[in-house]
Amino acid sequence: QENPFNSGKKYTIAEIIVTGDTNFSETTIVTYSGLRKGEVIAIPGERISEALKKLWSSNLFSNIDIYLTKTIDDQAYLEISLEDLPELNTVVINGVKKGKKESLIKDNKLTKGAKVTENLITTTKNYLTNKYRKEGFYNTKVTVTTTPVIDSIEKSRVNMVVNIEKNDKVKIKDIDFIGNEKLSDKKLKKAMKNTKEKNLLRFLKRSKYVKASYKEDLVSVVDLYKENGYRDARVISDSIYNNQDGTLSIQVKVEEGDKYTFGKIAFVGNTVFTDQQLSSILGLREGDTYNGVELKKRIADNSRPDARDITNLYQDQGYLFSTINPVEVSADGNVIDMEIRISEGKPAYFNNVTVVGNDKTNDRVIYRELRTRPGQLYSKTAVVRTVRELGQLGFFDAQQLSPNFKNANPNDGTLDMEYSVVEKGSSQIELQGGYGGGGFIGTLGLSFNNFAIKDIFKKEAYKPVPTGDGQSLALRLQASRFYQTYSFSFTEPWLGGERPIQFSTSLSHTKQFLYNPRTRDADKSKRFNITGVTVGLAKRLTSPDDYFTLSQAVSFQHYDLQNYNTGLFTFGNGYSNNLSYTVGLSRNNTYTDPIYPTGGSSFGVTAKFSVPYSLLNDVDYAALKDERAGLNPADPDDLARMGVIDQERYKWLEFYKVKFKGDWYTNVVANKLIIKSGIEFGFLGAYNNDRGIIPFERFFVGGDGLGNYSLDGRESIAMRGYPNQSLSSTDGGTIYNKFSLELRYPITLGAQAKIYALGFMEGGNSFDNFRDYNPFNLKRSAGLGLRIFMPAFGLLGIDFGHGFDPVPGDNVKNGWETHFIIGQQF
Amino acid sequence: CSEYQKALKSEDIATKFKMGTELYDAGKYGKANRLFAQIVPQYRGKPQAEKLIYMYSNSFYNMRDYYLAGYHFERFESQYPKSEKAEEALFLAAKSFYKLSPVYSKEQKETKVAIEKLQLFINKYPDSEYLPEANSLIKELDYKLEKKAFEIAKLYNQIANFESEDYEASIKAFDNFLVEYPGTSFREDAMYYRFDSAFKLGINSVEYKRKERLDIAAKYYNAFNKAYPESKYSAEAEKMNKELQAAIQTYNTQS
Repeated sequence: QENPFNSGKKYTIAEIIVTGDTNFSETTIVTYSGLRKGEVIAIPGERISEALKKLWSSNLFSNIDIYLTKTIDDQAYLEISLEDLPELNTVVINGVKKGKKESLIKDNKLTKGAKVTENLITTTKNYLTNKYRKEGFYNTKVTVTTTPVIDSIEKSRVNMVVNIEKNDKVKIKDIDFIGNEKLSDKKLKKAMKNTKEKNLLRFLKRSKYVKASYKEDLVSVVDLYKENGYRDARVISDSIYNNQDGTLSIQVKVEEGDKYTFGKIAFVGNTVFTDQQLSSILGLREGDTYNGVELKKRIADNSRPDARDITNLYQDQGYLFSTINPVEVSADGNVIDMEIRISEGKPAYFNNVTVVGNDKTNDRVIYRELRTRPGQLYSKTAVVRTVRELGQLGFFDAQQLSPNFKNANPNDGTLDMEYSVVEKGSSQIELQGGYGGGGFIGTLGLSFNNFAIKDIFKKEAYKPVPTGDGQSLALRLQASRFYQTYSFSFTEPWLGGERPIQFSTSLSHTKQFLYNPRTRDADKSKRFNITGVTVGLAKRLTSPDDYFTLSQAVSFQHYDLQNYNTGLFTFGNGYSNNLSYTVGLSRNNTYTDPIYPTGGSSFGVTAKFSVPYSLLNDVDYAALKDERAGLNPADPDDLARMGVIDQERYKWLEFYKVKFKGDWYTNVVANKLIIKSGIEFGFLGAYNNDRGIIPFERFFVGGDGLGNYSLDGRESIAMRGYPNQSLSSTDGGTIYNKFSLELRYPITLGAQAKIYALGFMEGGNSFDNFRDYNPFNLKRSAGLGLRIFMPAFGLLGIDFGHGFDPVPGDNVKNGWETHFIIGQQF
Repeated sequence: CSEYQKALKSEDIATKFKMGTELYDAGKYGKANRLFAQIVPQYRGKPQAEKLIYMYSNSFYNMRDYYLAGYHFERFESQYPKSEKAEEALFLAAKSFYKLSPVYSKEQKETKVAIEKLQLFINKYPDSEYLPEANSLIKELDYKLEKKAFEIAKLYNQIANFESEDYEASIKAFDNFLVEYPGTSFREDAMYYRFDSAFKLGINSVEYKRKERLDIAAKYYNAFNKAYPESKYSAEAEKMNKELQAAIQTYNTQS
């Protein structure tokens, strides 16, 4: 079928010429127009208008025309006439501070070389006028003038002058309400959130007049009436006067109408829930002041997705397709009878549940975590929780996780669910070199958090390391002249792939040498080796609730001393073994981002203990203790005997250790300001007091909490505002507690980097035995800090803490300390 | 300064073309590619461009940069639809997408694109010499999608424990799988595991749902046994069915 538009006569293009003021070459323009010499086209016809469109869309020309200059038989001679748009040469902005100019130029794209169209001028003008009006400069005037640059050689250019006359800020002298009897002027003024009277005392929200927010505020005034039962209230008129002194006065006339109360509230159409259940959620009763806003909120509160409202009640029981409408059935006098009409619809079941975006992580690692599975009843809570838990895996960017509802079918009662994930880098490399502890220290750390150990022999899986099975693998080597540490750890979250039982194992080996004062080097003949193995299992529990985890671990450490005489050990040649069993119960429901939790809490209690050897062997520890007490350490013979006794005491370490740690996250300003409050406690004890508390496994409080964990089972407890380990005795404390309060503010939570600032207050202390223990004898501190998390580097941070109390052995307060934090969270 | 370096820095596009072609013929695709990249814009619209762009695209393919190879081959085919290389280019474009398809257990966006592209190729050149290969590639990709869906359904069966609704998820997932891939090579396994899930759900069920669930399991057994009377799973299924029938029997005698 021939398009009538194309029915023009057919011509062959014989020639195309370009006229007008342009700097582009003729061929460029002709080529760009799409018309070609020799082409057969219809005139008038589609090809010509296409060419015009194309030229216009280049945004380079104005006054574009295509003429048919002459025809000879079926030969057409065309002329394209156009003018280059002038380019911007210089911009002068008058009327604002120098610093602002650049951002204005950027916002309006007034860069040199920009094409000056009418549109550019108008949008610039409007943008600036609106911008300053919004800031309260209601009388802002903006003029934009352009003058051509006289230059016959170069292409046409213009200079632009933007004049901004902000004039004075328009303040509101007074707001006057007329016709209000039931609610005071003061209350109504308070309801106007952004339109305020001039008041010297209020400096957070200055008085200004912005039309759009003024209109919104009028709606708020009416809403306030509605909340108080005045359902018919309205603004009859409002007028704005200019005062002599340049301020404004606002007069608002309202009609309040009568006060209404709720009459009977009936539920219609509910089969799943009883009237009683629904009305207890609704919380409104006959005789209550009519409040349309509250009513809406109780039915569906859009401001909080997890609100306890009727819609969510249905949503959590699978009624995705339910609709709930409040209807006023009669208004007898000032009493309004309500009918809450509920259309429950079919309960919705998940049909297909899919995950997209996992280009690194294997399906099963994700699908096994889903709490919404095919055939299951739809539940909003389950969807929200799935998103939360996928975020906690740490493989995906928590900010970009989204559940997508697909193919929701009210007739069949089915829907498909698609979880969209975005992989983030979860491997970290640590390579450090520096001076510390008397020499060069080099560290190489590799940690892969989404490892696939089954692929380690597959060459093609190395991109750059095998990933996707959700396992974590960490290797760490640290060496200096005086010590070397090697450690390896591996974790599989689902042992055997069938149950969420986490299996973890770690191996470590540490070598330390004593300092040789003559050669100023390590004395290799005096060494202390520690070798350790740990194997653990952790199981998610389903009761008391399914946020609980029970973990168990067996660990063995062998300490081997050779010629290693220090204050710590009385036996320089000897050994010690530490075989212990740890059991822990923890609960964690923090959400959503593990780096920056915005709510929930985590706490854990662990108990670690050894076999009570002293009950099983026949050694008389009381006699040994008495003998040891009578020896003089200054006498070499006695010292040797003490070494023998201590070797007997520490051949197999006998102890128990109990720890508790809890953190609560409270959201102060929606996802912005978070308070983290924490409490920690630890206790190390002995079964047999004659044998005594071991010198290993102790608590060292103070500083950044980063420590050589594997050294002798010691635990470094962070306590900012004090030097590292300064709050414990040199051998370490056997009991400690700590309380902290931290306020966190996110600066950015993007995928590339998460940065937040924090302020903290904490108090803690450690004690050498239970008799000295006093939970209120705390060393206090406060300070500020910053954390930066980047996927490739892990967590980096700096804290400035001020210690208000003296460290032991000192009598002036400790003052400021700076702490650097690497890879660990406070 | 080697001759290659000189060519790279040279201003003369003909030198680059010549050198690039030699390197390309010698199988040095990476080096050739760098030269071609420099001159492709200048040659656009010229008669040599057809050969150049083909070699340029193919050098990406041989460098295993399949994203770019696919893109350039497709552009070549649309720019020179009359070229004798057009058919091959379109095929290689589709095959590039095939090469990008990841292991079945990860997202299959590329797999779906590859199937689509291969199908377009087959529709456009139904008599192509590449047709058998295209068909076998599609088959391989289809298999991948089937395996993905099958493994997910099987996962639900494996991780299910008796207290939860996971067996129902597995049954539903297998139902969906069998509907979506009626001709799948996993049909036998899927039907067996569907029965297995239904059996375990029924046997361990709470009392008030037990009868209904046992009946469903029996239905799935019959479907499986009818379709695959001599399955590798027959012995196991038979045993489960006996237990199932015994359980159902108790309800019949009660009533």
